[in-house]
Amino acid sequence: VTGVEPSLTVDLAPTNKLGLRLANPVLVASGTFGYGTEYQPLVDIQRLGAICSKGITVRPRRGNPPPRIAETPAGMLNAIGLQNVGLRRVVAEKAPIWERWTVPVIVNISGESVDEFVRLASTLEGVAGVAGLEVNISCPNISAGGRLFADDAESAATVTRAVRAATSLPIMVKLSPNVSDVVEIALAIEAAGADCISVANTFVGMMIDVAAARPYIANVTAGLSGPAIRPIVVRMVYQIAGWVRIPIVGVGGVTCLRDALEYFMAGATAVQVGTANFVNPNTGVEIVDGLGGHLRERGLASVTELVGAARRASRDSLAVTVE
Amino acid sequence: MRLVRVRVTGNELIMPGTHVLDLASPEVAASASPGQFVHIRCGPSWDPLLRRPMSIYKIRPSGVSLMVRAVGSGSEIIAASPPGAELDCLGPLGRPFALEPSRRQLVLVGGGYGVAPLIAFAEHALARRCEVILLVGAASAVQVFPAALVPPEVEFQVATMDGSLGHRGFVTELLPGLLSWADGVYACGPNPMLEAVSRLCRPGARGLAGQTDSAKPIQLAMEQHMGCAMGVCLGCVVKTRRGYERVCRDGPVFQADDIVWESVS
Repeated sequence: VTGVEPSLTVDLAPTNKLGLRLANPVLVASGTFGYGTEYQPLVDIQRLGAICSKGITVRPRRGNPPPRIAETPAGMLNAIGLQNVGLRRVVAEKAPIWERWTVPVIVNISGESVDEFVRLASTLEGVAGVAGLEVNISCPNISAGGRLFADDAESAATVTRAVRAATSLPIMVKLSPNVSDVVEIALAIEAAGADCISVANTFVGMMIDVAAARPYIANVTAGLSGPAIRPIVVRMVYQIAGWVRIPIVGVGGVTCLRDALEYFMAGATAVQVGTANFVNPNTGVEIVDGLGGHLRERGLASVTELVGAARRASRDSLAVTVE
Repeated sequence: MRLVRVRVTGNELIMPGTHVLDLASPEVAASASPGQFVHIRCGPSWDPLLRRPMSIYKIRPSGVSLMVRAVGSGSEIIAASPPGAELDCLGPLGRPFALEPSRRQLVLVGGGYGVAPLIAFAEHALARRCEVILLVGAASAVQVFPAALVPPEVEFQVATMDGSLGHRGFVTELLPGLLSWADGVYACGPNPMLEAVSRLCRPGARGLAGQTDSAKPIQLAMEQHMGCAMGVCLGCVVKTRRGYERVCRDGPVFQADDIVWESVS
């Protein structure tokens, strides 16, 4: 491989006719990069592998009352409540901007019912500027009494199947980590036709305002993200990679090249940078910058050769036992 | 707005726990306006994680100065930065105070640490030949912003809760007597103080009979914990008549009558 520039390209939807070929495996996570435009003054966004948009819903949502965020050890809690401009304005105002970009935009969609997911997916089908969908099944399922679609394999599969039938776009389904068996749900999503899986959404957490003796976040519970969760999500990726064949996208606490390598070696084909964008908006681009050199040092021709490297070196059984 | 490494050229303890940091950055200074803030990283580590928003306290051609109160793990790190150190600085950010040309007589109300952007604004207003009265409140004398640092052209009044300096009680108790004189009120401080300022300045309130909000702008610089400060994370919202708005992007300066106080915790 001497003298040959290592390949950073990955395809997150290898069995989909449209494919989801990315110039590199470093994405930015939904909710941490707005609609992509906000960071343009600071970041050369076209150098990212892809941008996952802020989660959108059929109608605009005003979101939760404040306080919405809190800092925690090496992490943060958030309960934004899916504040967004709604499907119609995303199609009318954001997609025409995305169409002019070279970086693919993956639209994160959230529904409170299967019908809402279908409406989102079918409306976005064929919209120029939309490269794929990330299906956020970790929002409350009103039709199932407030449980999350991501909570059990059957609901997760139902949503995935419905979205699959509604669109030919590549679909990435975002797992919830707040379940007892991520593998079971990952397998159900794969069987239901997902092109890839993002692992994972935030962990449900909480903070108490001890001076006031009440929950600090107005929503009471909130999602934990940041470096604090990385070891748990790396474990989940490692675990899931032993069972599913579709690409896995690792998301949780990625702050630098080393963190991204952990995910690749655990079995992820790509990573999403999330909370780190708030601290260093160039985190994703810096990882891309470092990745080529790292591959050359290891004598690898493609980043895909790193995927699962730690698995192959390990004698562990594919099913990881969590004590 | 820029993301730059800036050198600390001065660090002075102006009162217990509160430092003034001078940052060398002509680029940041050139685009900065009073009321805006910068978002400072706490160091190369990811714990504490988030940047800390800091009001711009002074704007010089060579850079800006910040008033940093060491109140937690993050601000302690920033406050301890010695001259020569570098800080990772994002800014200037946010909507500044607006000073319409017709405003001549201004009352500025600062609660505690909230005095920082008012000093920058006072200097700006003085350069525009406005008359400025600054009211500052604190728990006790030791926490009062030093008079020596207030521009000499500014009339300065102090209130302390324990009466150890100036008026005994809330700083907002000094405001009604000045409302017939003032044609603009600008405030920064804790939310209960801002709410009191807003209430006192409402049309029909004592001392304001016959005047309307449009005649007398009340501008408040809100404080809120922030994530990205780029308008992306939607973490720092405050409820306004238009819905939830971002303190980092739609503020930090808001018109007083836009804020829905019942929702402000």
